[in-house]
Amino acid sequence: MAENAGDRMVRMLALIAYLEKNRGVPVEQVAEHFGVSTGQVLQDVDTLWVSGTPGYLHGDLIDFAADDREHHILTLTDARGMDRPLRLGPHEALALLTALRSLQASPGLTDDAVLASTTEKLAGAAGQAAQAAEAVDVEAPSSSGADTATHLPTVRRAVKKGRQLALRYVSASDTTSERVVDPLQLLTDSHRWFLLAWCHRAAGLRQFRLDRMLDATMLEARIDDHPDVALPGSAQPELKSAPWHVRLVLAPRARWVAEQYPVATVTDLEEGRFAVELDVVDLAWLHNLVLGLGPDVLAVEPPDVAEGLRVRARSALEAYAQAGLVEDLPGPVL
Amino acid sequence: MDRVPAAERLLDLVIALSHTRHRMTKGEIRRQVNGYADAASTESFDRMFERDKDQLRALGIPIVTLTDSAHEDDVGYRIDTTEYTLPPVDFTPAEVGVLSLAAQVWQDSSFAAESRRGLTKLRAVSDLSDPGEHAGLALRVRGPDAAFAELLEAITDRIAVEFTYRTARTGTSAQRTVEPWRLVAKDRGWYLIGFDRDRQAQRSFRLSRITTKVRRIGERGAVQIPSRIEVPPVTTTEVVLALVPERASALRARAEPSEHHAAPSDRDVVRLTVTDIDRFAEQVAGYADSVLVLEPAELRSAVLARLRAATAWGEN
Repeated sequence: MAENAGDRMVRMLALIAYLEKNRGVPVEQVAEHFGVSTGQVLQDVDTLWVSGTPGYLHGDLIDFAADDREHHILTLTDARGMDRPLRLGPHEALALLTALRSLQASPGLTDDAVLASTTEKLAGAAGQAAQAAEAVDVEAPSSSGADTATHLPTVRRAVKKGRQLALRYVSASDTTSERVVDPLQLLTDSHRWFLLAWCHRAAGLRQFRLDRMLDATMLEARIDDHPDVALPGSAQPELKSAPWHVRLVLAPRARWVAEQYPVATVTDLEEGRFAVELDVVDLAWLHNLVLGLGPDVLAVEPPDVAEGLRVRARSALEAYAQAGLVEDLPGPVL
Repeated sequence: MDRVPAAERLLDLVIALSHTRHRMTKGEIRRQVNGYADAASTESFDRMFERDKDQLRALGIPIVTLTDSAHEDDVGYRIDTTEYTLPPVDFTPAEVGVLSLAAQVWQDSSFAAESRRGLTKLRAVSDLSDPGEHAGLALRVRGPDAAFAELLEAITDRIAVEFTYRTARTGTSAQRTVEPWRLVAKDRGWYLIGFDRDRQAQRSFRLSRITTKVRRIGERGAVQIPSRIEVPPVTTTEVVLALVPERASALRARAEPSEHHAAPSDRDVVRLTVTDIDRFAEQVAGYADSVLVLEPAELRSAVLARLRAATAWGEN
């Protein structure tokens, strides 16, 4: 997606303030600091170079040392008085403060000293802009927190120290296994924690839910290097070699599914209903998702996947009927 | 001549309005500031300038409007450079690391772009970040729903709002008139807490169930926000489940062994405490016949409703 002009302008102003304080910085370092490519930094610098006060003659323009620029070093020689750092806008302050509070509300991070000091300094620096944030609260997740928290400290320590973990783990298909993994990243969607790790048994990157860990023990062995592993950076199942392509028609209130999971396409249908197409690696994962959604799922394709779900649902309903657990409830009895 | 890119035009406008001794009129801006000569007509210049001015203000740049005492319709503009500046702040490398973490939290919504832009501004006065204690950590959550910005503005302006709301239990929609007090992120959703005028009581509304635009009702300042808002306490429910032996180990790990008169003899009975019946029903439905709900009836019907829905999939 092309960058918004406003966002780019804000970064160019930030570059002036930063380069006024930091003289003779390699382009690569500036790019790393601002989280953009070196090409983008150079493009920003070239735009700054022709910007200035009306007249736009030599003395009116922002200026850099041309020799340094040749050697990929950025040295600002005339900031044209634009080196004041720009204050935060109310929405920026709100988005960052709410994100920090969400982090603080995550299990295992509630007493984090660095989070607390960052939040305090940010609120101070935002000043007036922080006021709107006072009407916004973030609450700790009410479910699954306690059991997740049991293994969180161990897993965090292993991630930080780069040590292997021995796990006893229950998979989406409800089978328990023991594995040794190289923990790479800990991820939360504020509801659950996930560990992205290299699984030695599967010889691949796998995602483990902390609330499905029965045991987690840090080992002495250090993790291997995994230079080829790209971390997906979101709490979503991986897509590689997905054998199932599934289409779901969903009711409007299941909209979060389209936002939470890596759906291939979203098609809006009449009356707020919509269809999503998913590439599914693990059918057990899909069963858990779709049975959990229940009446919000209006249709499932292909037919064999729908059939598998129907069979599972029927056997469960039969088990309820045999145990005499449906008669006292409204709804059709089998 | 090539058109001047928007980012460059905005930058030159900021520089010009920061340097002007007193103020710049629209005519001066059009003649002097790089990029505005591109406008083909006065109307298209006006549109371009108004849009740029709004955008700069939204980015936090304080543009003040000054009218000449002698010619009141002769409006001029200037940037208030004192207001412009970020107050001194000194983040440690670990704190910059935490800010980078925070800027990646929002998966979608306007919050994602706004937090990244906020981080860019703070990086202007920061050293390189050091993830330190937080190495390898990431939080990814959904940003607030569309109604969030309007509701927050209504709270700030202390004005009542009106919207159509679909209740979770019955799925029916109704018009609600609410005095908005606070916005709360909880579990997977965002909630408005306020005073429901129709029900004459405090209520919370899940933002994703607001199905229309939020309309403002009445006067600014009309809403009194209580200094202490009692957030409804988290209610917990004890549930009793009958499990197939050896199955559902992840549930067993958080449960206590138990007994129950209605349990089939070939199953293990466990008891555990949950906070959100609907959320727990999602989880239980996924276990299908491995997990039967004995109590409470509310959870059992939530699970049965899900299973019954599944029997209709793919039939036509």
